[in-house]
Order: sequence, then structure tokens, then C-alpha cells
Amino acid sequence: MTSLLRRAAYRTGMFVAALALVVVVWETYKAFGPADGGKLFGARILPRTSEYAMPHVWDMFSRFGRPEVRGSDRTVFSAVLSGAWYSFRLSAAGFVMGSLLGVGLAMLMARFRFVQRGVLPYLVVSQTVPLIALAPLVVSWGGRLEVGPFTWPRWLSASVLGAFLAFFPIAVGTLRGLAAAPAASVELMQSYAASWGRTLLKLRFPTAVPYMVPAFRLGASASVIGVVVAEISTGLKGGIGRLIIEYAREATGDPAKVYTAIFGAAALGLTMAGVVIAVDVFVMRNRPKETVS
Amino acid sequence: MTAVSISKASKSFNQGKANQVDALSDVSLDVQNGEFVSLIGPSGCGKSTLLRLIANLLEPTAGEVVVNGKSAAQARLDQDYGMAFQQAGLFDWRTVRKNIELPLELKGWDKADRRTRAQEMLQLVQLPEFGDHYPWQLSGGMQQRIAIARALAAHPPLLLMDEPFGALDEMTREYMQGELLRICAATGTTVVFVTHSIPEAVYLSNRVVVMSPRPGRITKVVDVALGSERSEDTRNRSAFFESITAVREGLRGMHAAHVGLGNDDR
Repeated sequence: MTSLLRRAAYRTGMFVAALALVVVVWETYKAFGPADGGKLFGARILPRTSEYAMPHVWDMFSRFGRPEVRGSDRTVFSAVLSGAWYSFRLSAAGFVMGSLLGVGLAMLMARFRFVQRGVLPYLVVSQTVPLIALAPLVVSWGGRLEVGPFTWPRWLSASVLGAFLAFFPIAVGTLRGLAAAPAASVELMQSYAASWGRTLLKLRFPTAVPYMVPAFRLGASASVIGVVVAEISTGLKGGIGRLIIEYAREATGDPAKVYTAIFGAAALGLTMAGVVIAVDVFVMRNRPKETVS
Repeated sequence: MTAVSISKASKSFNQGKANQVDALSDVSLDVQNGEFVSLIGPSGCGKSTLLRLIANLLEPTAGEVVVNGKSAAQARLDQDYGMAFQQAGLFDWRTVRKNIELPLELKGWDKADRRTRAQEMLQLVQLPEFGDHYPWQLSGGMQQRIAIARALAAHPPLLLMDEPFGALDEMTREYMQGELLRICAATGTTVVFVTHSIPEAVYLSNRVVVMSPRPGRITKVVDVALGSERSEDTRNRSAFFESITAVREGLRGMHAAHVGLGNDDR
């Protein structure tokens, strides 16, 4: 347990050190870099070091504490926090939908070979459709959908687009995991006359866990990206995607502001990944640890 | 009563295609209750296929397999046999106890009964204090003993083993052979045992079935006259060596026939 703690402390330390390094590089370039940026054959390949192009790191952080707009008593921090929280909820909804869809598809593909042959190529193709092109379609389809008292809320489009990005790595990873059960274990379950469902529950899913965990981690960050992009391209208000756009428009007068929203988005992605890692540590606690010998 | 009765069984893979393989051809074998029978032969002789026909993991192309007086398929549904493989194949995510309980879970036993039986089985394989360990915390030999405990947990009358000690070192292997005989004597289990090792087959068995490849068939059955009481001293007895020689000749006879050499010519 102490070695686990020490490893956790080491990792946290490395993470902080890496962040500090980025800050040092940023500020060093800002202090000593050419004021007009670096040019190569007339094309600018290094940024200008002015306040507008590269605000000081401390300005970015102090911006959190000041009002969002002049005269308002709402700070940027609380605006970013509420935006990130809103987007987090949409991403979580998208992640859950994507997980159900991905795991469901993987189960069908593992059970029926013809489903795998028929569906898998379309899954791959689906991921080549640009999200920006899909976003307005989903919004307009959703807007027309009305089942009894249910009407399609606007935020659901963003979640659906998050799910659309999240389900693919989850489906592929789970499928690989379900197929990874050793032949002898499958024969063993057969020798117990276990049904396909029991075999799935007692053997295939437990075997798949080490494959599913990284797939879910990818899916979690993909759902955040999907939601943020969808917020931007559908103009959905309230989330961190919208804040990035709004603050970027003010970049000429208030250059530090947009970075606060970007930090918010990064924190959002890290939180989603962190939740999955916590689940990973929990479900894998009794498995053989390959890194420890 | 006969535990296993195989009559004129054949098994071909990819039947009717260009790459047809006749894994077994016209094999007949009876195994009596309480008997220990080994199947031995070179790779490709169909000994594992024969074991899988008994287990109903494969269906014969022709012929009939009767286990415990019923069809092999029914015997599998009734879980009339337990099975152990070369890899212990324990589930990493289950404790040793939960691994042993797996067949009982699938049979729908309730929790208290499963626990009692699992503890009995742990006693039987002499690892009573390892119930709450995980398989990967155990040595290879211990894992294989747990696999045997799992195979016997539901008290099946028949145990099918496919090179269960093949991955163990020689010392552990001899120890495990003694353990297996002790366990079988204690439970009265009938065993069909696939192996590559002649001394292992002779030490364990009442009968050694020698098989040959292309197509897989039985070439010789050696009765081992070592009685039912066997110990480490058994390995030094002349009857032990005589049986080893008999099995070796059975194997060599077919080898000579294949390469076209006489028995004395080596």
C-alpha cells in the first residue's frame, strides 16, 4: 500500500512538474522571443510575444478572479465553472449513451458473426463523417422528433453527438475483449453446459475488462470533444464550448480571458478521464499486476 | 458398469473438402468404473480429439460415444464429468474458492452449500488455507491442484484430463502424479488421461492406450500390472520398467512402420 501511495505521489509530482515546464517555456519565450514572431520565407512560424498573442500565465489565472463583464458581480471563475459543469453533465449523458450503444453492439457482434461482418465496416465509416457536418442534421432531426409528451431538448443533440464519438472505441475495444477468452476457458464453460449468456457473464465480460478500460477512457474524452464541438457548431448556450467562442471574440481587448475557458475545457476532459481511471483502479484491484514483480 | 464406451468412432475435420483431416478412424474403447486409462501417442494421433469426443466438445463423424450409460451430449448436460487442461485455466478475477465454486454456481447450488463443498475440495487437494488467495499468487503446481479441485467439485464420476501436468517441472510433476492417485483413490473417480510421457502414463494407469497418427487409431493397449497401491517405490519396480518397455515398443512399432525400419534396426 505504501508503494502504491509513493507511486501516486510520484505521478502527481511528475504531472505538476510537466505543467510547470510548460509555464517556464511559455514565459521564457515571451521574455526573450522576437517581438514580431519568427518568420521563415515570409510565413510566420513562431507567435508574436505581445500581450495580445501571448498573455502572461499569471494574467490568465488572475482573470479568473475578476468579473466576467465590466460591472458584473459574476466572476470569470464562476462562469467557467458553471459552463464546465453544464458540459460535464452533457458529456456524461453522451458517455452513458455511447457506452450502452458500444457495449450492446459489441455483444451483438460477438454473438453473431454475420452482424460483425455487416456492421463493423459501417462503424468505421461512421467515424469518418465530420462532426461539424453531422451536428446541424442531428439538431434538425431531433427538433422534429416528438413522441407523446417527449420533446427533444436542445442539449440532447450535443449529448447525442458526444455519444456518436464515444461509442466507437468502446464498441471496438469491447468486441476485442469479448473475443479474448482463451479457448480452454471457453471449452471449460462448454463442458459445464453453460449457455451463451452465462458464458458471457462469467467468462467473457471479466476477460474483456482489461480491454474495455482503455476503450472507455478513450470514449470518455471523445464524448467531451463531441459535446464541446457540438455546442460550438449548434450554438448551444450554457456550456464551455460556447464560452470558448464568446471569449475568443473578445481576444483583442481581453486576451487572457479565452485561456480561462480553455483551461476549463481541459479540466473537464481530465475530470472525465479521472472518473474512468478511478473505476479502473477499483475493478482491477484484484487482478495480477504486470508492472509489479 | 462401463464409465465410457466408444464404438467405431471416427472424426474428420473439413469433411469432403480438399483439406480433410482424419483425426480419428474407427476407434473402439471401453473404460470401466474406477479405472485409470491413459491415452498416449505422438502429436496428431488424435488423443486430444478422442478426449473431446468423450467430453462432447466435439461430435463424432461416425460411431457412438456413451458416457455413464447415456449419450455423450446428455452426459455433458448432466455434468457427469469434470475436465482439466494443460493450462490450469483458473479465472484471474476470482479467488481460489470462487474458482472451485464455478461449476457449482452453474449448477445452481446455493451459497452455503457451495462454500462447504469448496472447503472440502481445498482439504482434498491439501491447500485448505489458500481459499482467499487469487490464482496468480499461487505456483504452477498449486494452480493445477486447484484446477483438479474445480474439476471434481461437483463430484462427477468421471475426470477427463488433457496433459494436465505438461507445463510443470519434473519434480512437481511426479509429486502431482502421486497426489492425483491419492485423490482418485479417495473419491473413486474414473479417469481418462492424455499425456506425452511414458513413465507418467504407466505410473498412473491401469491401462495405457497407445495411439498412432494419420489417421488416428488405437494400435496397442498395455495392461499395467502394478496393482492399486502405488508409491514412489513403484517407480523402481521391475514391473514398472516392463510396462514402460511395452508402451515404448508399441510407440516404436508404429514409428518403425512409418519410416520403414525393423524393430531391431535403430
